[in-house]
Amino acid sequence: MAYLLPSLPYPTSFANTVYILFFYCIIDCMFVYSMCNSVCVVAQVRPLHGSGCGQQQEAVGMETRPETVSIFRTQENDPACQSEQHLGQYYTVPASHFHTVFPHGLPPRYQQQVKTFNEGCVMVRQPALELISHLKRADYINPTLRYLLYGVKGSGKTMSLCHAVHYCSTQGWLVLHIPDAHLWVKNCKELLPSSYHASRFDQPIQASNWLRNFRTTNEHFLSKIKLRQRYVWTKRESTEEGRPLGELVDMGVSRVKSSSDVVGAVLKELRLQAGGTEGGFRLAVAVDGVNGLWGRTTLKKEDKSPVAPEELTLVHNLRKMINNDWCGGAVIATLSQTGSLYAPSSAYLPQELLGEEGFDSMDPFIPVPVSLYSEKEFESCYLYYLDHIHFHHWLQHPHSQTEEGKKELIFLSNRNPSVLERLCAFL
Amino acid sequence: MAASVTGLLKPWTPRVLLVRWSRYNPYYLEPEPRKEVYHIPETELTPEQKEERELKSVRPIKAATNSVTSSVFNDPVLSKFVNMMMKDGDKIIAKGIITQTLENMKRKQVEKYHKAPEVKKAEIECNPYVIFHQALENCKPVIGLASIQKGGKFYQVPIPLTDNRRRFLAMKWMITECRDNKHRRTLMYEKLSQELLAAFSKEGNVVKRKHELHKMAESNRAYAHYRWW
Repeated sequence: MAYLLPSLPYPTSFANTVYILFFYCIIDCMFVYSMCNSVCVVAQVRPLHGSGCGQQQEAVGMETRPETVSIFRTQENDPACQSEQHLGQYYTVPASHFHTVFPHGLPPRYQQQVKTFNEGCVMVRQPALELISHLKRADYINPTLRYLLYGVKGSGKTMSLCHAVHYCSTQGWLVLHIPDAHLWVKNCKELLPSSYHASRFDQPIQASNWLRNFRTTNEHFLSKIKLRQRYVWTKRESTEEGRPLGELVDMGVSRVKSSSDVVGAVLKELRLQAGGTEGGFRLAVAVDGVNGLWGRTTLKKEDKSPVAPEELTLVHNLRKMINNDWCGGAVIATLSQTGSLYAPSSAYLPQELLGEEGFDSMDPFIPVPVSLYSEKEFESCYLYYLDHIHFHHWLQHPHSQTEEGKKELIFLSNRNPSVLERLCAFL
Repeated sequence: MAASVTGLLKPWTPRVLLVRWSRYNPYYLEPEPRKEVYHIPETELTPEQKEERELKSVRPIKAATNSVTSSVFNDPVLSKFVNMMMKDGDKIIAKGIITQTLENMKRKQVEKYHKAPEVKKAEIECNPYVIFHQALENCKPVIGLASIQKGGKFYQVPIPLTDNRRRFLAMKWMITECRDNKHRRTLMYEKLSQELLAAFSKEGNVVKRKHELHKMAESNRAYAHYRWW
């Protein structure tokens, strides 16, 4: 049964006249809320998106979508094709990709939101677009460029990072996503002395978890990349030259004791092979909370003396990755005060959070400031939460749907994305 | 008494202004937190309102308490519940628990809504405020018991309850139920949301307690004439 939607009296606001027409069939017994393109279609449908961007689509006997929906949503789900005209609009990450691209790395409240709404929608914002345009135009023969996203707490740095990671994923890059570097420098129950280097410490649990997620993200690369060196783990175990990377990763996941060294080996191999002409793939290193790599840890050795970050294998190897002495990829990093140790809560600038050592290592980098929502973005977010056509039913309080309530939300949240999200959660 | 004292006092402002003190000179007027009152244009004021405005320009006004807001999202019943949940004056924690409860209820209901078949969708209530108010209504007892002494013995006599008393009992039962009778490791907002959702559909321990009170009152009907008010 086709759902009749009323058309609105005012003309569409888009200059380019792409008429997007949809089926909106509600079939009683098999209505599936799938995560992809939420106007989704159950049966009798031709594929809505081809490989090109912004294609004209037509279908027979359709209902025109009311234009209110297109103000805050866009059908352009490919980050490569998004441009300034999509600023402030939400695009949906297709359900099929969601678990492979983001097994870890999304903020926890956003993961809850995705579970509740049954769809993962990301807002297209200026910092992410800027980052993606740099990634498109960069010259990958030169040494890697480092991008640093910084901003006040809750302004959307992690989400912009995830947007860029989605772009890299769709372009077929190999993505090395470290969800939070702070997790590697605090709250570690098991700290083993490293077998490879006497003064370093291993973190088996964190390393094996990360390897598992790495395997989920980059399945298709694991068989293609061959090792260029022989790695010896114990007297009886070694991985030969020429074996696929997948074998190394599987070994790291199963043999938890040597997983930190496996991580080091994986990073080294990828660094060597990233810019290569024969196997050539591009490598994106996405690190959230990069300021955790320099600074202090809360971990202690057995004699109660503090552990410096350099003494951790994982941190040591990651620091080598962030150096710009390799080519064929990009390093995208985010600063984070939220999980950071011994940093004041008002600090958000690179100089304050990275410290001297960190800043010297990261220098030169391209800073990308992430600001709070602009008026247009706030409108868009508010309409998204208010969206009843897609049955979000999120903003329930009757007063929150009025002008007064909206003004109050602006006042209470100061247009801060995370604060707004928390406010709308209980309203 | 207040009225006569007010008449005797001359207009004055004290040298030391009293704030965060609930005992004021009766000369002080109550603050008006609602925004609509101030938006009425000059022309539409009734004579009483005009008089009141003139009075306010001469008399001192009490300081507004922290719980009074002009926010559109202000809910007096919810504020009362927050105050009852509060321990040691820590309103931030109590308010945090309530907001988490509301969010939790909304999430559960929205997820249930998405999974339900078409026919059932209209019946599922997703508004946590509606659920909260309805659950409290369902927990309010209609009749209560009082212990009255007659001839050396104490009898449980059924008595009518005022609205405030009913609301208080419903909230008190809800909070004690969640604090005492649930698993130790579940967090308060989880316990509260489960109990409120159960009360909304008239199940759960609090509603059961209300029914038991009603049954006791019914069984003690014979002593109803011991009540003299």
